[in-house]
Amino acid sequence: MSVSDENIIKISGLVKRYGDVTAVNGISLSVGKGEVFGLLGPNGAGKTTTLECLEGMRRSDGGTLELGGCDPQADESRLRRILGVQLQSSSLPEGLRPGEAMSLICAWHGLPARLDLLERFGLTGQNRKQYRELSEGQKRRLHLALALACDPSVVILDEPTAGLDVQGRAQLHDAIRELKNSGVTILLATHDMAEAESLCDRIAIMIRGRIAVTGSPAQITASGLAETRIIISTKNDCLLPGKDTKNARFLRQTDNYGIWLCSDTAAAVMELLGEVQADKDTVEDLRVERPSLEERFLELVEGGTRS
Amino acid sequence: MSKFIKAFSRHLWIQFKMDIRERGTLLTYYLLPLVFYFIVGSVFVSINPASKQTLAFSMTIFAVTMGAVLGMPAPVVKMSESEVLRAYKVCGIPGWATLLVHAVSAFLHLSIVSLVILLTAPVVFGAGIPTNYASYFAVLFILLFCNIAIGLLIGVSAKNQSAATLLSQAVFLPTVMLGGIMFPASMLPGALRTLGYLIPATYAMQSFSGYAFGLPIGVDAALSLMVLTLIGIAAAILVVLKSKAVKTE
Repeated sequence: MSVSDENIIKISGLVKRYGDVTAVNGISLSVGKGEVFGLLGPNGAGKTTTLECLEGMRRSDGGTLELGGCDPQADESRLRRILGVQLQSSSLPEGLRPGEAMSLICAWHGLPARLDLLERFGLTGQNRKQYRELSEGQKRRLHLALALACDPSVVILDEPTAGLDVQGRAQLHDAIRELKNSGVTILLATHDMAEAESLCDRIAIMIRGRIAVTGSPAQITASGLAETRIIISTKNDCLLPGKDTKNARFLRQTDNYGIWLCSDTAAAVMELLGEVQADKDTVEDLRVERPSLEERFLELVEGGTRS
Repeated sequence: MSKFIKAFSRHLWIQFKMDIRERGTLLTYYLLPLVFYFIVGSVFVSINPASKQTLAFSMTIFAVTMGAVLGMPAPVVKMSESEVLRAYKVCGIPGWATLLVHAVSAFLHLSIVSLVILLTAPVVFGAGIPTNYASYFAVLFILLFCNIAIGLLIGVSAKNQSAATLLSQAVFLPTVMLGGIMFPASMLPGALRTLGYLIPATYAMQSFSGYAFGLPIGVDAALSLMVLTLIGIAAAILVVLKSKAVKTE
C-alpha cells in the first residue's frame, strides 16, 4: 500500500507544559495516509506527551491537532472509532483472559468479538490463560490486537517493542509491516534506531520538546556530518601503519585492519586500492560503512538542536 | 442506548467472573464475612439468645460493609496504579463506566452474600425473620448503595494501596465497634454512642429493626433510612467529583 499525499495527522504549534516545564514546545508535523512515521528522541524529549495529546489523554496548552479530520481533544467518541493506541505502559486486570478482553473492547465499539485478531497475533492458544500468566511479548501482542479491534485507520504505538526479546520484537515488527501493507497509518515512538530505520517511511527526531529534524531515515542519516568509514585488511599489511591520503583520513588500526574516514567514498576507495596494487599486496577484507541513523541521532542529541 | 446496554452487560458479566477468580475479592466478598457470620453467630446465640432477633441483619450489615469498604477500594486503586483505566480508555471504555461496572458487580456479589445470611440464619441459628420482606429488601438496597459508594470513594481518593487500606480500616473498624453490630449501641458509653451516629451502620441497624423486623428502635426508622440514603448520595457525588478531578489530570 503506497503512501498518499493526503495528511491524516496534522500537528501545528503544539505546546504542552507541566508547571514550569515545557515538555512540548511548539512542534508541527504532518503524517500522510498509509505512512509509518517514527518519533525518535532521548528520554524526556516530549514524544509520549505529544502522542498523549493526539490520543486525547492530555489537554494541550497551545497549537492545533487534527487526526482523521477530528480534533482529538474535542471529539473523543469519534477519535476512538478511528484511532487504535498501544500505550507505552499499560495493563489489563490480572484475571482477564485474552478472549474476554477482546470481547469487552469490541462490545464497547458495538462489534462482535474480533477473535480473528487473537489468531492473527498468535494468542488463540492462550485463551484459557489470565493476563497475569501471559509473557511480556504476549501481553504486547494482546494490546496491539485490542488496539486494532475497531479497524482503525490510524494506530499510535508508543515504544511497542521495549523490553521484548529478539523473537518477540521480530513478531511485532512483522505485525507492524502487515498493518502498513493493509493501509493503516502508523505513528511510532521508539528508542530503537534499527526499528525506526527498518519500519518507518519518515521520522522526526525530537529534542527537548522541539523537532530537530524530519525526513526519511536515509535523508536524515545523509544530512549528518559523520563521514563514511573504509575498513581494509591486506595480506601483507601494506597499508599499515596507516596514514592520511588525499581523500581519506586515517582513524586507527584495529588488529590487521586499518580504518579511514572519508567524504568522497569512491575516490578514497580507489586511492587505497591503488596503493595496495602498487605494493603488489592483496585485499583480504574491504568494508565500506556509511554513517548510521544512530550516529546521526547521537550527533543531534549531543550537539544540540539543528535543522 | 441498546449498544450501551449490551456493552455494559458484557462488561458486567466479565467483571463478575473476574471478581470470582480474584482471591482477594473472593475473600472479602464471600469467605471472610460468611466464616465470621457462622462463627460469631454461634457464639452470639449461645451467649445471648436475645441476639437471635438481630442476627440476620447485623451480620448482613457486617458482610456488606466488609465487602464494600474493605474489598472494593483495593482493586479500584490497582486499576488506576497499573494503568488499566488508561488502557481501557484508549480502547473506548469510559472511566466512569469501569467504576460503575465495579460498583454493580460488587452490588451483585454482596446481594448474594446477604441472601445467604438471610436464608441460613433462621435455619442454622433460629434467628428472627423479617416481618416485612419488601422493607427488608428496600433497606438492603440502600445499605448496599451507601456502602458501595463509600468503598468507591475510598478507591478513587486513595493515592495508593497502603492509603486505601488505612482509609478502609478507618471506616470499617468504627462500623464494627460503634454501629451496634457486635453489641447493642445502648451498651456503649455516651461519647462513643454519639460517635456512632456518624456511622452508616447505626442507621442501617435502626432501619432494619424498625422497618423490616418490627423491633423497638432508638431512632426513628424513616429518619434513619433517610440519613443512610443521604450518606450514600453524598459519597456518590464525591466519587463523581473526584473522578472528574482525576480525569482532568
